[in-house]
Amino acid sequence: MAMYQVKPFGGGDIIHLPTCMYRLPNIHTQTVRCADHVLQNGEIDTGLKALEERQDEILRRLWELKAAVDGLAKTVTTPDADLDATTVPPSPASASTFRGSVDLDSLLGRDLGALRDIVINASPSRPPLCLLVLHRLLCQRYQVLSSVHVHSSVSSVPPKLVNCLGLRRTDNFQRQRFQLGFTLIWKDVPKVQMKFCVPTMCTIEGEANVARFLFRLLGVEPQDPAMATMIDSWVDTAFLQLAQGGAKEQATVVHALNDSLSRSPWLVGAEYSLADMACASCLLQTGAAKSGLVNVQRWLKACQNLGHFNFIHALLQ
Amino acid sequence: MTKEDVKGAAAEEEQQTQSKKALKKQQKEAEKAAKKAEKQAKQTVEQQNADEDDFAKDRYGVSPMVQSQQKLDRVLVRVEELTPEKADQLIWVRARIHTSRAKGKQCFVVLRQQQFNVQALVAVGDRASKQMVKFAANITKESIVDVEAVVRTVEQKIESCSQQDVELHIERIFVISQAEPRLPLQLEDAVRPEGEGDEEARATVNQDTKLDNRVIDLRTTTSQAIFRLQSGVCQLFRDTLIKKGFVEIQTPKIISAASEGGANVFTVSYFKTSAYLAQSPQLYKQMCICADFDKVFCVGPVFRAEDSNTHRHLTEFVGLDIEMAFSYHYHEVIDSITDTMVQIFKGLRDHFQTEIQTVNKQYPSEPFKFLEPTLRLEYTEGVAMLRAAGVEMGDEEDLSTPNEKLLGRLVKEKYDTDFYVLDKYPLAVRPFYTMPDPSNPKYSNSYDMFMRGEEILSGAQRVHDAQLLTERALHHSIDLEKIKAYIDSFRYGAPPHAGGGIGLERVTMLYLGLHNVRQTSMFPRDPKRLTP
Repeated sequence: MAMYQVKPFGGGDIIHLPTCMYRLPNIHTQTVRCADHVLQNGEIDTGLKALEERQDEILRRLWELKAAVDGLAKTVTTPDADLDATTVPPSPASASTFRGSVDLDSLLGRDLGALRDIVINASPSRPPLCLLVLHRLLCQRYQVLSSVHVHSSVSSVPPKLVNCLGLRRTDNFQRQRFQLGFTLIWKDVPKVQMKFCVPTMCTIEGEANVARFLFRLLGVEPQDPAMATMIDSWVDTAFLQLAQGGAKEQATVVHALNDSLSRSPWLVGAEYSLADMACASCLLQTGAAKSGLVNVQRWLKACQNLGHFNFIHALLQ
Repeated sequence: MTKEDVKGAAAEEEQQTQSKKALKKQQKEAEKAAKKAEKQAKQTVEQQNADEDDFAKDRYGVSPMVQSQQKLDRVLVRVEELTPEKADQLIWVRARIHTSRAKGKQCFVVLRQQQFNVQALVAVGDRASKQMVKFAANITKESIVDVEAVVRTVEQKIESCSQQDVELHIERIFVISQAEPRLPLQLEDAVRPEGEGDEEARATVNQDTKLDNRVIDLRTTTSQAIFRLQSGVCQLFRDTLIKKGFVEIQTPKIISAASEGGANVFTVSYFKTSAYLAQSPQLYKQMCICADFDKVFCVGPVFRAEDSNTHRHLTEFVGLDIEMAFSYHYHEVIDSITDTMVQIFKGLRDHFQTEIQTVNKQYPSEPFKFLEPTLRLEYTEGVAMLRAAGVEMGDEEDLSTPNEKLLGRLVKEKYDTDFYVLDKYPLAVRPFYTMPDPSNPKYSNSYDMFMRGEEILSGAQRVHDAQLLTERALHHSIDLEKIKAYIDSFRYGAPPHAGGGIGLERVTMLYLGLHNVRQTSMFPRDPKRLTP
């Protein structure tokens, strides 16, 4: 017999414990009714669509980046291998577009913290006018620290040559802040010399070669190889025949200039280029410009109007 | 035979041999005596002959010591003035005997006076006798002689002398001061360039021997040229600075406390206490600036008790120090100092070429090159150039001597200059009185100047504010009590100023391209040398 008896509380029925946590309506038994199901389809579709669109966007951007990196890799390692000369447009960008110092890094090598100083040695008896013109152009494009020194091998130099790159800076400046250095040293050397990165580069000799180097730093050399060769040819003519040749040779060159200038305003193509700079400076230096040929005079005037040549007259006196 | 017998026989034999030996000895002595007697007889005969024939007896000899007995109205011509213009003149010359060589009836003598020498000739004739020629040939080298001679031109140039177109024909020769016959070193050896190859192993003189016998070594043409050039450096330094308006000051060398806080000072006993010999005139230069002298320089000895036995350290040297107040930027002072140095180099290049060529004959080197205005690079640029050449160094690390030399070579390759300035050194490696850079606390307004890759000047803008100076001194753990007087000088209004100092011997050594500073110091002092 039980000691205590407790009356049952609650119903004495069997309680069914649930076996299913969530219950969904059976989608397979649903009949397709457009009005009802568009919403559902739309929800699913917009959700999916948005996801898909986002994915597509990401993939597209990835492709673009990949293409860009491939392009850069190609230009850095093999500059002209992929370029087909016939497909490249003939006229280059105009000389005044600013490109910034990124180009200098790719042209001259990474900046290691030392000022990238171009050192030019020239003899004061034959001032390199073409290089001075190029210096003006470099100053327009980059931040250039210019300085002039007189070497001990030369006893004295007239003040106009000492100030040919402008008066000496008197402000407080840090050499590091400049993108490029241009140091002109008046020295007793037979040929113009240029030294840039002594451990890896040998000395560049000859005013023509230094002029080509400086012109390429400006980044306006035409991509078209035909035009580039024409410019080179005129530069050679200027420095070898005009500057160093006899009177007869000079006369021939002046006539050739005249012929070429009768067809176009500048020597090569429709733009002012190194060819014009070189020929004009050599012509002014040798004094053969007094020949009186019409086209040559017109062209010289045009060069001077550009403003880079103004100071040459002062130097030539 | 008994032992005694044997002994006796032996003794007899000994006696006999002894007597034989004694005989022989006597004979020899007799021969010697005979020979001596003969010789003496001959000599006396010769002497008599000599005395008889010597008609030139009063035209040569050893003069009595010059004790200012008389005032002679005689003009002595300098050897450098003996040119064909003086041909056939009878002149008096006082010079040293450089070499003498007798050849039969003639004696060739080379007379030397400082850098110049001339050939002279004594020949037997109506003016000179055999005994005179013999006397001339026997005068010891380096003796000082008074010579009366006729200047004659020669057809063939005498290559070995500086006066190549003339020759002296001696009529009278007197020795004024005789030199001892054995010289500690020969002058030709002292002037000979070293390293001529093994075929011709001719003697050169060791540097120590030269320094021990400095009096003779200084007579060589090379030494004369070096010290004349050094005198030129000092003179150009003074002239350039006086023209710029500087005032020359003299600072005390006995000081009470070591100003730089280093251990490299000499102690002297000063009555009941001790004092120090000045390591640099820095403190007093700065006090002069605070005393409104504006621009000062001083030339005087500097004493450094560094136990460094190197080719470029001396314990006592001549310091040329500059200090200048500036208006707004310490570059004004750098420009002034570099301009002074360039003027010195130009003056040497233009007026001392003979001296430079003379030194180059014994010590060949490249001529000194420089730029005007002087090249000024920044320290970070120098570090970048060294890194590009493969040297690993930190941004704030000081330049070691090999790195300095390498940087000098890199700068020479690029700019072709032996003299340049390195500006903006890191603050951590400079003394406590250096002014920090206003825009970057890791760097300072200090600079070093280099010649041929070796440092010649260390300078900076000085801290002219007493409070900042105290802070910097504490930062360097310097006892403030010791430098109280120094800090006090800035408490009563001090202008901003900067300066630097060079060593005269080191600058001369590097300008000429020599390799040891003892060659440019007249009586050098180093940890191992106190005399002469």
